[in-house]
Amino acid sequence: MTAYHRPTDLDAALRLLADTGATVAAGCTDLFPATDRRALPGPVLDITAIPALRGIVATPEGLRLGATTTWTDVIRADLPPAFDMLKEAAREVGSVQIQTAGTLAGNLCNASPAADGVPCLLALDAGVELASTTGTRRLPLSAFLTGPRQTARRPDELLAAIHIPAAATAGRSRFLKLGARKYLVISIAMVAARIATDAGRVTQAAIAVGACSATARRLPDLERALTGAPATALAAHVTEDRIAPALSPIDDIRADAAYRTHAAAELVRRALTDLSPQEAAA
Amino acid sequence: MAITLNINGRDYSIDADPQMPLLWAIREKAGLMGTKFGCGIAQCGACTVIVDGNAVRSCNTPVATAVGKSVRTIEGVSENNDHPVQVAWQDLTVPQCGYCQSGQIMSAVALLERTPEPSDNEIDKAMAGNICRCGTYPRIRAAIHKAAEMSKT
Ligand SMILES: Cc1cc2nc3c(=O)[nH]c(=O)nc-3n(C[C@H](O)[C@H](O)[C@H](O)COP(=O)(O)OP(=O)(O)OC[C@H]3O[C@@H](n4cnc5c(N)ncnc54)[C@H](O)[C@@H]3O)c2cc1C
Ligand code: FES
Ligand code: FES
Repeated sequence: MTAYHRPTDLDAALRLLADTGATVAAGCTDLFPATDRRALPGPVLDITAIPALRGIVATPEGLRLGATTTWTDVIRADLPPAFDMLKEAAREVGSVQIQTAGTLAGNLCNASPAADGVPCLLALDAGVELASTTGTRRLPLSAFLTGPRQTARRPDELLAAIHIPAAATAGRSRFLKLGARKYLVISIAMVAARIATDAGRVTQAAIAVGACSATARRLPDLERALTGAPATALAAHVTEDRIAPALSPIDDIRADAAYRTHAAAELVRRALTDLSPQEAAA
Repeated sequence: MAITLNINGRDYSIDADPQMPLLWAIREKAGLMGTKFGCGIAQCGACTVIVDGNAVRSCNTPVATAVGKSVRTIEGVSENNDHPVQVAWQDLTVPQCGYCQSGQIMSAVALLERTPEPSDNEIDKAMAGNICRCGTYPRIRAAIHKAAEMSKT
């Protein structure tokens, strides 16, 4: 029997992690399918009984999503429209049973290029809080994700929370995912877009594409083109040369690179069409 | 390790590795065989049970996480197989081979408890995590509508 720890206290959890280098377990929707045996190898640190890691709360700087916040928690939470994209993504992560168990932090730490939470959280300017016995540090999500299945997390660190700055909670948002079928599908490409407007002009444009590069990416060229533009017909700003440089799609079993770029551009166009005011009125 | 699990309102004292999948604790330790093992890797939904009101896949749920919660399995849906979902399932002869069906019923029960009158779209979304190799999906959808109808009166 391998050691299985289920502390209720965060400090105890951090000490265990430092002392044993245990595998962190949250919803286990990535962990268990990855082991073709009944048990996980080595000691396990189950973090789902730690109240300090749970829940979505407002902070002076914005919003804090605790590490063990599940997709279902997101769907049921009362959040501003900037989070609609995250809710849309949440409803498409696997199926209801996966959404009940799976956590946002698990999605980030697993660091799949196809993780649906990542583009949304990038477009919300998310930062991650990493805690260990030696203290706490913050990293922008973009710096946390260093490659496919690679993160900047040290083995003695726990991802304690995801932080969204108040400025990024403005605007409306949309998430679109392309897969080979409607449900239970790994994304070929997905797009998260958040647009804030004031007096008919775009004041913030945050657009991220997933599954089309080693880690999901924001689209700085397109965002620059959109910022300050009239808040109508937003999709007209989408051109391949404003998208392709940020991406480096791969050929794999689900799609080839050219198709992914084309699909990403089309998804961005559709998301921006949905976020253009005259479309909303129509 | 000694673990107490509350399944269908009854406490079971079992001896299990805390990371044993809840599925095995239910089947092999508590002896309740209605919950099925399909894939064991969180892909099919045959092992669906309800924990504190939400559908989960028991094959990727460590048993330790279910301690202190209420677990419902197919055996606990009703005393006499007369829950509206079960009645509708029988009326419309939903199952074919039957293997996936206890998982289907648990997902349907969890859905109707939160959404008493689901639309086709809501049914499809809620049931997408339960695969049926026999393709009983149209009958499942019809039976959920029927169960919703019966529960109204
Ligand atoms: C059938 C099925 C369908 C799926 N569909 C989708 C989908 O459509 N889109 C999608 O994006 N994903 C999908 N997934 C993947 C998975 O459900 C998600 O990535 C989920 O959010 C993972 O969260 P978890 O809590 O289950 O993580 P776990 O499995 O518990 O952990 C995942 C990894 O992160 C580490 N970890 C977890 N939490 C922390 C923490 N707080 N600090 C440090 N390390 C941590 C673990 O050690 C592990 O390496 C699917 C999975 C299954 C089985
Ligand atoms: S046996 Fe659990 S999902 Fe297949
Ligand atoms: S009835 Fe045979 S798998 Fe569903």
